[in-house]
Amino acid sequence: MPTSPENDWCELLRAPIDGNTAVRYVRADQDGAIVTFDGFVRNESHGRRTLYLEYEAYESMALAKMREICVQVHGQYAIQRVAILHRLGHLDLGETSVFIAVSAPHRAAAFDACRFAIDTLKRTVPIWKKEFFEDGAVWADGELPPAPPPPKAAS
Amino acid sequence: MAGVSANLRVNVLFFGRIRELTGLSEESVDLTEGSTLADLFEIYQRRFPALAGFRSSLVASRNQEFAAWETPLSAGDDIAFLPPVSGG
Repeated sequence: MPTSPENDWCELLRAPIDGNTAVRYVRADQDGAIVTFDGFVRNESHGRRTLYLEYEAYESMALAKMREICVQVHGQYAIQRVAILHRLGHLDLGETSVFIAVSAPHRAAAFDACRFAIDTLKRTVPIWKKEFFEDGAVWADGELPPAPPPPKAAS
Repeated sequence: MAGVSANLRVNVLFFGRIRELTGLSEESVDLTEGSTLADLFEIYQRRFPALAGFRSSLVASRNQEFAAWETPLSAGDDIAFLPPVSGG
């Protein structure tokens, strides 16, 4: 039975993410496995010591793209529920920037779906990270989302 | 301005490096009928020379969907020029 993305949880937060709430949210009686991805702030970038990060988003589009990921995940994997939480604003070292939880009756689908969700988020969700160092700040190198082909000429 | 129709007013949003380069976060712009995303970006390139050469490292969005540069615009569209994304 395909499951529905309508009970999935996607949110952009300006407060610390509690991954346990996401794990509890996706857990259902029919499940036997939950796989999570916890992305958090590393203390260095390309050999420079990071002080902190700032994340910003095109919030309405980011949420729409996160929900699209949920729809894709339900279409491709035998999973139960998905939670995708992303933090915005100022993040200190070690703080969680993104947390994904996927529940499923069996582990393989949960692993695959969780991996797909984070990989797709990093390519398609309009969120940007600025890295602050002792001697300056840079926008992190990112991935350019693929644009669709040009529209057919209309008169 | 000749050819500018108040009917084709779009809302433009700026994020990340592009927001910093232009000093803008959001504004409305009146365009000539038939203008495309590429035409709109051209206007900003003229206004902000720092944007020159940037187009190939941006992707445009129209009403919260990624869109090709050739896409024609409609009144009321929400447009953004998005730098490479780096969430996660």
